[in-house]
Amino acid sequence: MIELSNIVKCYQQHEVLRGVSLTVGDGEVCVLLGPSGGGKSTLLRTINGLESFDSGSIRVGDVVLNAAAGPERDAALLQIRKRVGMVFQQFNLFPHRSVLQNITEAPVHVLRQPRDVAVQNARRILARVGMADKENARPGSLSGGQQQRVAIARTLAMNPEAILFDEPTSALDPRTTAEVIGVMSDLAASGQRMIVVTHAMSFARTVAHKVHILHAGRIAESGPPEQIFGNPQESITREFLSEAGERHS
Amino acid sequence: MKKSAPLHKSRRLIHTGNRLLVVVSVLAVCLIVSSTAVAIDGLDKIRQRGTLVWGADQEGGGPFVYPNPNDPTQRIGFEVELAELIAEHIGVKAEFSQGQWDKLPDLLDRGDIDIVLNGYEWTTNRAARYGVSIPYYIYELQLLGRTADGSLAAWEDLLKPVDGQKRKVSVLGGSAAQDYVERFGGDNIEIALFEGATDAMEATELALSGIDANVQDLPIWVFYAKGFSQLRPLGTPVGRGYYVAMTRKSDKDLLKAVNETLVAALQDGRLRRIFEKYGIWNETQTLRGLETDATGSFVGNSVPAADGSGEAVATESYTPSGGWNVIQQRGGLLVRSAGMTVLLSITAMPIAVLIGLLIALARLYGPWYLGKPAAVYVEIVRGTPLVLQLYLIYFLVPKLLDTIFPGMELTINAFAAAVMGLAINYSAYEAEIYRGGIQAIPRGQMEAAISLGMSRSLALRRVIIPQATRLVLPPMTNDFIALFKDTAVCSVITVVELSKQYYIQARSAGAIVELGLLTALLYLAMSYPLSVLSNRLEKNLNQERRA
Repeated sequence: MIELSNIVKCYQQHEVLRGVSLTVGDGEVCVLLGPSGGGKSTLLRTINGLESFDSGSIRVGDVVLNAAAGPERDAALLQIRKRVGMVFQQFNLFPHRSVLQNITEAPVHVLRQPRDVAVQNARRILARVGMADKENARPGSLSGGQQQRVAIARTLAMNPEAILFDEPTSALDPRTTAEVIGVMSDLAASGQRMIVVTHAMSFARTVAHKVHILHAGRIAESGPPEQIFGNPQESITREFLSEAGERHS
Repeated sequence: MKKSAPLHKSRRLIHTGNRLLVVVSVLAVCLIVSSTAVAIDGLDKIRQRGTLVWGADQEGGGPFVYPNPNDPTQRIGFEVELAELIAEHIGVKAEFSQGQWDKLPDLLDRGDIDIVLNGYEWTTNRAARYGVSIPYYIYELQLLGRTADGSLAAWEDLLKPVDGQKRKVSVLGGSAAQDYVERFGGDNIEIALFEGATDAMEATELALSGIDANVQDLPIWVFYAKGFSQLRPLGTPVGRGYYVAMTRKSDKDLLKAVNETLVAALQDGRLRRIFEKYGIWNETQTLRGLETDATGSFVGNSVPAADGSGEAVATESYTPSGGWNVIQQRGGLLVRSAGMTVLLSITAMPIAVLIGLLIALARLYGPWYLGKPAAVYVEIVRGTPLVLQLYLIYFLVPKLLDTIFPGMELTINAFAAAVMGLAINYSAYEAEIYRGGIQAIPRGQMEAAISLGMSRSLALRRVIIPQATRLVLPPMTNDFIALFKDTAVCSVITVVELSKQYYIQARSAGAIVELGLLTALLYLAMSYPLSVLSNRLEKNLNQERRA
């Protein structure tokens, strides 16, 4: 269980998150939608501490992350980061390492897995994301879609309880977007818990268990995709969907 | 309001930093403690040690002290023989210690040497600060002009402008000659200061920058006259003064022993024989009226030649040994000194790299109480000249150590001080290179690493620094080349490396061009491989970026 309670965050005088609460259950795929600047990415990044927050709390399993900086928060963050992976819009692969080394880096140096175990595991995961033949390539020689699949594999190698996706396809063209969406859908089907910030409406519509519309630092509406896309209750949701080119019937 | 950036400083980084700091401190302490402690008090210590350490500068040092033309690794000169006389009197061996001429009194203060014996003129200031001996030589100043220049025949001519231009006179900076010319000419004469007596004569002979004349200590002119055939002495010598030996004020016994030696050697003619050997004996030396014959009777003005056989002939004099055989003769010495240059560089650079990295990390990721001092350190070190830093480390650190740990006689030897100075100086530049290199790594790299559960220090070690290293290797290699050349500055604190050895040998052999080319070649041979390496690294980096 991942549980965000009443998260508030300010940038100087501006409140970016105004008390957001949500829960993500086991095996659940949660999609955050909403207009740009609504706080989606910021919210996602508070979960693994890439952004701090000013009040509220986050619970990942039995670990609680509070707003106050200090050793307690640092310790909680280390725990959460081992359990919750993250996939970035810009992939952020390590350019000085091969594909295989990108994947084994954290298992070997963070989880202290024996190298041969980590390598074996990495090859299995690479096969799963369709990148088995590229293990010796440098990230720089791969296409964007391939890089993002390696990034997903890198996260999977940590055997995470949940994966945070921060606009994973926004830097990709339509064809490579489909590759990545395909991998993500497979993951969802295998019961991987995910929180996804995306503009890929088809993914939200077909794969998400729950969709949250984030607007001006608040959750405007939450519900299963059928409700959000089929029968939105809030005017903000309708406005957003029509601007995104989604027709609701 | 809290900062949005997730800078949760990892304790591990700070611990790692502490560990490295400890290593550096231990290194520093080793350097200091391993250095030879030579704080000496008085004659007893000298006798205990068995050597009298005397300081002089053999660069351009004829006839005082200069490399023996027949064996440039050995020194000759009338001060060498005088030092041996004094040592013999005390019952110890004389040990020469090379120091830059104007820094010799500092070396005396530091306790590196027991006595300065290098043409130091008696002045009231020196007499107030140091123990000064009775004069071992009475010098006079000689005005020199070009043989071809008929317009200049006497001192008075210096006061007459030529075509509205003041006459220009070259002198050794800080010498009695400079004082004399200033007093004689006031604003009517322009003075050109040189660091070497022979350089000043050379510039005068070649009429460089409009120099008309040179004023030179008479013994120097007498010794070098053969090498400057286009110069001629004008008028009679002037400005009589005394060369004295200097000791620390507290070493009264030593000073007494020096005086005893001088009086005895003047009386029995040993000193005279030494001066004659170098062609610098003259009647002025008899003004002290100490000369006696075998029966002990004063011989007055009728000074007999030392060997009793009429006119004495100088056996040691300056013979310019230009030409390419000088390389065969003295090249080996230069190559050996290049070894010191290499040793200084390869010892200093790793320390500079280590300190630089710590400073860069402190500035980028450390808390304010580490980051702010690190920034100040960089500004201070970058903003002050290396030569000053070396000087402070060599001369001030021992004083500081003495204040903190009185009585422990801690000091720092010249090599250690040179390595420390170079390392500190270059650490500031390295720090800025690393800071730039680390900042050039996209922020997403750190985010990706810590999102995988890495601590900040692990992320630095595994992800950020390896990438930054590729960026900084080319500028680092350039800095290493620069460091190689900057080792030349270390001669101010008595380290004889390639450049200093060049000046010593070139000036004593009169082979500025030949040995200069060899020296340049040696520097090139050391730095060119690094240059090639730097270019290759840069090429690799560019290829990697394109990939």
